[in-house]
Amino acid sequence: MKEELIKIEEIIKNFDTIEKSDIKALMLRVFTKLKSRLENYVGDYPTFIEPVYLEDNVKIGDDVLLGPNVYIGANSVIEDYVEISNTIIFENSTIGQNFKLENCVVAKNSSLNFKNFNIKNCVLVGPAKSKNELKSIEF
Amino acid sequence: MSDKEENFISRIKEVESTNLARDEIRDEVIETKKAVEKDNDLLAEKIHQIFKNYNIKSFDIVGAIGAGKTALLEAISEKITSKYRVLVICGDITTRVDADRIEKHRAETIQINTGRECALNAYHVHQIIKNKDLKNYDVIFIENVGNLICPSDFILGTDKRLIVVSTTEGEWVVEKHPMLFEMSDIAVINKIDLKERLGTDVDKMVSDAKKINPKIEVITTSAKTGENIEKLMNLMGL
Repeated sequence: MKEELIKIEEIIKNFDTIEKSDIKALMLRVFTKLKSRLENYVGDYPTFIEPVYLEDNVKIGDDVLLGPNVYIGANSVIEDYVEISNTIIFENSTIGQNFKLENCVVAKNSSLNFKNFNIKNCVLVGPAKSKNELKSIEF
Repeated sequence: MSDKEENFISRIKEVESTNLARDEIRDEVIETKKAVEKDNDLLAEKIHQIFKNYNIKSFDIVGAIGAGKTALLEAISEKITSKYRVLVICGDITTRVDADRIEKHRAETIQINTGRECALNAYHVHQIIKNKDLKNYDVIFIENVGNLICPSDFILGTDKRLIVVSTTEGEWVVEKHPMLFEMSDIAVINKIDLKERLGTDVDKMVSDAKKINPKIEVITTSAKTGENIEKLMNLMGL
């Protein structure tokens, strides 16, 4: 799984090539290999649908639904009322309140500090304090 | 969306009972609750159709913590996994204890930890099945979160709903929880091996279930000794 994650990180560094890349196949391979790891998060009791893999020190807000097929990198923050499925979030990222992400990749260090955002099939790169500041590309 | 609107939505999400809502927001809370229930029912219908299309037999199993839902699924899985490809979706507020137990009997499992929610809903189930190749399964069991109240709010789109109670819960457990008996197809009174020792009036439990829902099939079982497990499987069409 780590090998595929490294490749996905490489791909999303260059926006121009994402569409033509094998990012979808790589994501599928990550999800096929993904096993749940839920022991080390900080927060209330979210809803998890297996598999969900949380690296260390992930902070999760209230009324959050994660899964299936979610990987969240270390030191990331998931705010209240968020729903995430089939998505990879790299480390040190923040997902704002009432985001709904399906089949997305969030680049590392992406603080998405705004609310109420619903998107599918995208690479998202922050930091962003509003939807307009967010760099995103569909795949 | 303004902060005021957001706070309003947050408030709706927090209000579990309409009578907790202030008068100013009462109407909107009721409308929202109705809309959510309708959405669940529509999704459950869709799930039912999907299961039918794939020729999958599906069961929602409800009951209190400790009634023996998992033990029954272990016993049934042990008997049918040589014949059917079985997926068990396990609902618990936390842990995958039940899923781990069932997996030992050769069924594939997926755990849903519902956190602060006390029942599975159709959205949870749909999220799983839309990510699965359903050609790979013949039977899907959904073991709901252990309690006799909340699951009555959400149908899941399965062919049949089984309610499991046990002799250890006392003979009043059926009459005290009519909602789930009304909406179930099979009532299982488990731990029948303890009937004599506990002195539980099982006949009352059977007649209460029939009184609440005359169409319900009632069966007594012991997941521990295996008593009537085959009969239960016949009732389920397995």
